[in-house]
Amino acid sequence: MNSSGTDNRQNAWVRPCTAVWIVLMLLTVAVLAAGQAGLQGGAIVSVILVTTWLKTQMVADFFMGLRRTGGLWRIGITLYLLLVTGLIGLAYRMSAG
Amino acid sequence: MKATTPASPPRRSPPGDLAIWVFICAELLAFGVFFVAYAFARVGHVELFNESQLLLDRFSGALNTLVLITSSYFVVRAVAAIRKGEATLCTRWLLAAIGMGSLFLVIKVTEYGHKLEQGLDLGYNLFFMFYWTMTVFHFMHVILGMVILAAVALKAHRGGYSAQEHTGVETGASYWHMVDLVWIILFPLIYVIR
Repeated sequence: MNSSGTDNRQNAWVRPCTAVWIVLMLLTVAVLAAGQAGLQGGAIVSVILVTTWLKTQMVADFFMGLRRTGGLWRIGITLYLLLVTGLIGLAYRMSAG
Repeated sequence: MKATTPASPPRRSPPGDLAIWVFICAELLAFGVFFVAYAFARVGHVELFNESQLLLDRFSGALNTLVLITSSYFVVRAVAAIRKGEATLCTRWLLAAIGMGSLFLVIKVTEYGHKLEQGLDLGYNLFFMFYWTMTVFHFMHVILGMVILAAVALKAHRGGYSAQEHTGVETGASYWHMVDLVWIILFPLIYVIR
């Protein structure tokens, strides 16, 4: 493989990762803002948990490189993230009565 | 038509040594049990958890999230550098990531100090039992991750990795991303949602 081809491939990987980094930062600030504003309740909890799942999925897919791996590894991590955030959501729904 | 450059070709196994992924899965399961236990423990003590949560410094939690996310991005840049054979650049990005990890620890230790001054220790109540257990458990993982990144950086500095062979860099990177991923769940769970 020539060096130019490798450079292009790595740049094609880093560029979306840079976009993901910026999105992750913005979503974190948004979650902080929701907390500072005292927003609470089922709808807010749902939005924050979906945001959390989205953030972790982006870390797994882009930073950890599972998007290119695919298969059982990606499915396993995705199911784990959905299960954990889903069970947290269920518990909060139960506590809301 | 303009030719597009594909990203690296699909691979069957995740980046890095397979053993680290077995370890990562075990760690994720352990943290997952903590998260779910916290959420269900809260069901019977909603007021206690909500009042206790207000005693936390949400801003420092968010700042630490930004710090860890940024360190994870620096590790991505380190992996990209070594895949291009740029060992010096790889080392620099890894040192930057370790620097962000150090900042995370400083912020966390400062927060711990304030909590202890207020008497909000492990035995204060159920919420703080979870707070201390989960965050200290994660804190230890940050330290371990920094040790791994330091070992990888040292080897990269000595020319131990190349564009062809850099499994060690990908292994360390995968572990560090796991540490970041866990905190991304921990932050809203402990500091924000109520």
